[in-house]
Amino acid sequence: MINDKNSQKIVDIIQNFARKHSLFVLAYGTGCGAIEIPPTMTSRYDAERFGIRGAATPRQADVLLITGYLTTKTVKRVIRVYEQMQDPKYVIGFGSCTINGGMYWDSYNTIKVLDRYLPVDIYINGCMPRPEAVIEGFIKLQKKIMEGRAEGAKHYKENLEWYRANQKKVLGPTTPHIQEYNW
Amino acid sequence: MEEKKAQILEKLQKVFPEISETKNDFPYNRVDLRIEKNKIPAILFYLKDEMGYKHLVHITCVDWLEEGKFEVIFIVWSPVDKIKVFVKTFLDRNNPVMDNVDMIWRQANTYERELREMFGIQFEGLVAPKEFILEDWDDMPPMRRDFDTEAYARKRFFARPGREDARDVRQTIAERTGEEIPDFAKKYSR
Repeated sequence: MINDKNSQKIVDIIQNFARKHSLFVLAYGTGCGAIEIPPTMTSRYDAERFGIRGAATPRQADVLLITGYLTTKTVKRVIRVYEQMQDPKYVIGFGSCTINGGMYWDSYNTIKVLDRYLPVDIYINGCMPRPEAVIEGFIKLQKKIMEGRAEGAKHYKENLEWYRANQKKVLGPTTPHIQEYNW
Repeated sequence: MEEKKAQILEKLQKVFPEISETKNDFPYNRVDLRIEKNKIPAILFYLKDEMGYKHLVHITCVDWLEEGKFEVIFIVWSPVDKIKVFVKTFLDRNNPVMDNVDMIWRQANTYERELREMFGIQFEGLVAPKEFILEDWDDMPPMRRDFDTEAYARKRFFARPGREDARDVRQTIAERTGEEIPDFAKKYSR
């Protein structure tokens, strides 16, 4: 489209600036962490002043916020939701359950390491993270977007086979809930 | 209340002489009784139709691993008497089969599906989809006490390195303060 390297740089800056200030978060709560989202979004902590808002459907959303533990049953739906989202898209892992299993580390039906299944841009640790921590995480994500380093979706497309192999190892080879997408 | 509870047990014992064990010394409105498993539909029908215990509160199960038994517990409640009756029965752990009771309360179907999936108890004549909560489960029923959930999680899921040396927090506190961990607490630590 624009072949000149410097003009591309300027376009990127404008694009990233615009993306950074309108983060639509998909309203999909997986674990107990979803209870921290209403205070973050409403008047006391008011995340909307940073441009963070809720979105109703995956196709309108930019950020997939994984709020807490993921059971093997939920992770199938989450992967499907992620693949339905349109670019630009980012994933935030929220709470220690998404990082290393947290208090469900020996559970028989929750996954432990989220970044084996989906490309995670930012992790917010804590059990639970307070709304301040959530906003801090979002600001880190905005910084990353502005610097052009939030490239989880690109990474997912490039390493799709690795992610698919991991998903199928845990979710079973014949799982009907993951579609074979062909971008 | 105490008299009423005693009356209920007396009445039930008159109709069902098979009742093997009763318990009535709870401080609140609870009565326990134990009966053999093939009398369960009969006693539940009697409680519902004749005595007004028309609300099924819960069906649950206790795994007595050491005795080799499952204990299935039916809790019913009467809105008139305001008393809960716990009907208990023992099943053989190697062959846990009992009668289906969802013709008495339709909602029993859901509880029975859960017990079938989580403990492997077979209810004869239960008509329900095969899977309830778990999807593509291929191991032993997970709520049985001999199911090793940690070994299963290690085998099945990816783990982030760094958790291998995870130790009991009580151990750390005991070392810091110079206390000794009592034996009963050691039994449950990992």
